[in-house]
Amino acid sequence: MITDRSLAAWEIVSVTSSVLIAEWILSASAGRSKLIVAIPAALAFILVIYSHVLRGEKARDLGFRFDNFLPSLRLLLLPMIVIAGIALVIGFLSGSHPDFFRWHAERLILFQLGLGFGWGFLQQYVLQSFMNRRAQIIWGRGKASVLVTALIFSLLHFPNPWLMLVTFVGGVVWAFVYQKQPNLFALALSHGIMTWAIVSALPPSALNHLRIGLKYFA
Amino acid sequence: MNSTSRARLVHLLISKSIVEALLIAAVAVAFFFATTNPYLRGVLDAADKGAVTGWVVDESRPHTRVEVQLFVDDHFAAAAIADQFRPDVHEAKRADDDWHGFVFNTPRLSAGNHEARVYAVHSSGSGTRRTLQLIGKPYRFRIE
Repeated sequence: MITDRSLAAWEIVSVTSSVLIAEWILSASAGRSKLIVAIPAALAFILVIYSHVLRGEKARDLGFRFDNFLPSLRLLLLPMIVIAGIALVIGFLSGSHPDFFRWHAERLILFQLGLGFGWGFLQQYVLQSFMNRRAQIIWGRGKASVLVTALIFSLLHFPNPWLMLVTFVGGVVWAFVYQKQPNLFALALSHGIMTWAIVSALPPSALNHLRIGLKYFA
Repeated sequence: MNSTSRARLVHLLISKSIVEALLIAAVAVAFFFATTNPYLRGVLDAADKGAVTGWVVDESRPHTRVEVQLFVDDHFAAAAIADQFRPDVHEAKRADDDWHGFVFNTPRLSAGNHEARVYAVHSSGSGTRRTLQLIGKPYRFRIE
């Protein structure tokens, strides 16, 4: 009989492999068509949602709630300021000046921030409401599950070295805060703002347009 | 989590793996056919310190001349079009005309053993993708 811990590990591996398949195999061979990449993404979402149902997880447990929005944001504020400050210093030291309109300059910044929030929400949902919670089934609350969540998040940004570094640091902060105050809205807000700060502060050449997977080499 | 839910989750995980494996296999097969021209025929006849020679024909388009690239010891050496006079290829009914040969001047090489490879350049994806397809077998030769 398969144990709950083994099953949780299998779930983590399955969703991680879907993302890696999309990033590395399908996006490389699909050319400009994004449709084929949607297949492993859809399969991953089916698994994530069905898993919530089978495990009896409610939306509130997963972080779809507002009652702890401010406490969650309070926990996030200091690390966000510190990381943004470090990014600015690294940017200055490498001769790059901050440009807060650099992130998809062809779009209105408010629209781009909205997209960043939405994309961040999706990522945080999979990362925290699924990966983090499954990691907690295996290792319990605390350092191990936080580190594993952050490592997976970083791995999914391979081989972009700067992005892997910042996603690991961000992953630790977000996974820790989620375990204290599970609120996806606060995490998505933080995700969007931190992406904006990092893109604005670090040299564009270092981030390589946030490309990951095989597209990093394009 | 009860045993029924657990069994359902296991079934879903297995089904998902099978679908993804089939998807990857389908993409791999499609990618192979998109990036490979099964109608290319050719031979690398000879290589020495003076020249590397052979012929290549695209049987799906027998009147076009194939672009070829020479690599010596895994390093790119030269590119050319296979449009040299080779009546023997035509006589052997491997081509519709006499002009499918290639001749490369061998680059300056140190004494010792070397290996020449000639690749046909195959364009796909409306010209956005270019892949190399080995012509014949690698040819090993020695320079004294």
